[in-house]
Amino acid sequence: MSTLEKANNKRRIKEHNPILNFFTALVMIIVVVCCTVPFLYIIAMSFSSSVAITNNRVFLWPVDFNIEAYRSVYEYPNFFRAYGYTLLYTFGGTLISLIMMVLFAYPLSKEWLKGQKFAMRIVVFSMFFSGGMIPNFLLINSLHLVGTIWAILIPFAINQFNLIILINFFKSLPVEIEEAAVIDGLSYFGILVRIVLPMSGAAIATVGLYTAVFFWNNWFNALIYLKSSQYPVMMLLRNIVNGRTMVVDNGGIGEKSSLAIAIKSAVIIISSLPIIMLYPFLQKYFVKGMTVGAVKG
Amino acid sequence: MAKKKELQYVHKTTFKHYMGRYWQFYAMMLLPLCYFILFKYVPMLGNILAFRHYKPLGGPYGDRWASAGKVWPAPLRYFEQFLLQPQFWSAFTNTLIISLENLIINFPFPIIFAILLNELRNLKVKKFVQTVSYVPRFVSTVVVISILSELLSPTTGMLNRVLDSLFSTGRPYYMNEPEYFRTLYIITEMWQFTGWTAIIYLAAITGINSDMFEAARIDGATRFQQIIYITIPTILPTIMVMFILNVGHLLSLGFEKVLLMQSATNMSVSDIIDTYVYRYTLGSSSPQYSLGTAIGLFNGVIGLILVSSANFLSRKLTGNSIY
Repeated sequence: MSTLEKANNKRRIKEHNPILNFFTALVMIIVVVCCTVPFLYIIAMSFSSSVAITNNRVFLWPVDFNIEAYRSVYEYPNFFRAYGYTLLYTFGGTLISLIMMVLFAYPLSKEWLKGQKFAMRIVVFSMFFSGGMIPNFLLINSLHLVGTIWAILIPFAINQFNLIILINFFKSLPVEIEEAAVIDGLSYFGILVRIVLPMSGAAIATVGLYTAVFFWNNWFNALIYLKSSQYPVMMLLRNIVNGRTMVVDNGGIGEKSSLAIAIKSAVIIISSLPIIMLYPFLQKYFVKGMTVGAVKG
Repeated sequence: MAKKKELQYVHKTTFKHYMGRYWQFYAMMLLPLCYFILFKYVPMLGNILAFRHYKPLGGPYGDRWASAGKVWPAPLRYFEQFLLQPQFWSAFTNTLIISLENLIINFPFPIIFAILLNELRNLKVKKFVQTVSYVPRFVSTVVVISILSELLSPTTGMLNRVLDSLFSTGRPYYMNEPEYFRTLYIITEMWQFTGWTAIIYLAAITGINSDMFEAARIDGATRFQQIIYITIPTILPTIMVMFILNVGHLLSLGFEKVLLMQSATNMSVSDIIDTYVYRYTLGSSSPQYSLGTAIGLFNGVIGLILVSSANFLSRKLTGNSIY
């Protein structure tokens, strides 16, 4: 620590503000509690016996530890199929999405390119005005995509906010390297694949994470576009919560869930765990991605 | 003379020349542009169905112009159908009330959180709090509502038990009671997005030149004064941009979440424009697509007006705008 920093720290201690410090600590504790306790509770429920649950003995720690709930989920007939579909939608959707967005973002990052402004306007206008729920549905219906997995994979491929994050990132890359590659005779496709993409790990990771989270968590599109035999795991959970396991829609949340609370908790944990496990590793990227994208929101 | 001509030729790039050089960029754009036209702009044209009669299995643009309604002239039949119906206006009012309450409560929260987070001197603690605060952003609305209904369950819910023992509230069925609906909507919204939205403000705060704080400290400004006179004014452009975007979305609430929280008992407060559309179209056995499109168009136009006026006001008042 340099002497300057030491001096600064001393000054900071001098301007000590107990009320502000107390308030800050309080808010931080509240945030941490609110963001962890619900998950801890659900984990505790999923490992507790149904007797302990109905007797209100479970708080943040499993009571009568057992894995009965997870065994039931494992034996549940449609669970693995639904999980498989979730994986398919997430990987397939993210892959298609990334290819489309990179192909669009790279030319759009070249402000000198003729027509770039016009293409950019097409993108931005569609952020503020769009066809509503029904025109979208009728379009996808008339393309005969309803009831196929393509209804999930294709129509939502480009999200304009993610696209702008990528564009801004590509703009921030040094032009000199690309210029040198042009002189060396590399084509623009070659530059994109061999030079720009390898430098864009952070942006790709950010946008890829957002997209993957969207596909993993989405259930409404599955509800309106897919057959029940193609439902992802979130639709399964939604039906369990609604108290109708694999029947069609309508109505609200009933307590009359046909499956026990422990099983519901187990499904929540199993279906959220992969995404929750993934994000801390990508955190340093997506914070940067949010920042770059926010510059020109 | 000849030399001059040659130079001119080199400088004047013809269309053919330009394309010969840069065609690859246009080739890259081709597929995504087709996507944009098909999936973003064709549905915009599809809004025409608001003025047309829909024939089942007859394509997304209907088969003929809508006939006159009872009061309104020819193509406005479907607009009349909802604009003169009290049930629609109750959904409209519900949407507006939830949205405004949500904006008033949840707009300042991430700003305060970001400012306080920046006051933390221990970087490890700061990182930990931040990481934890993002978690709710990554779970599905289904999971959020499932967790909420488990926590608040009148028979087994932990939160329900705790609230009862602290304030002797009894054991109400929170998820079904109309009076708790808005509160639950806003709290879950806060839970999911406070930490996430704070990233943007935190980035703006980190971008502030530290010389400014240094100068303020030398002038004897307390930490609280530094927040009021340096941090907030400097991040004001970011705040305004976020505000404009939020105002533009006033009529589009978290539809999926409301649909999950909706039940027969809380319909009086939980019926919003989107669920109203859903009930008459995709959630119905005899869908009225023209009506649904008309409501969607009405909503979209109001959204556009809202975002442009917020943008205009912000430019006049603070000099910040998004376009």
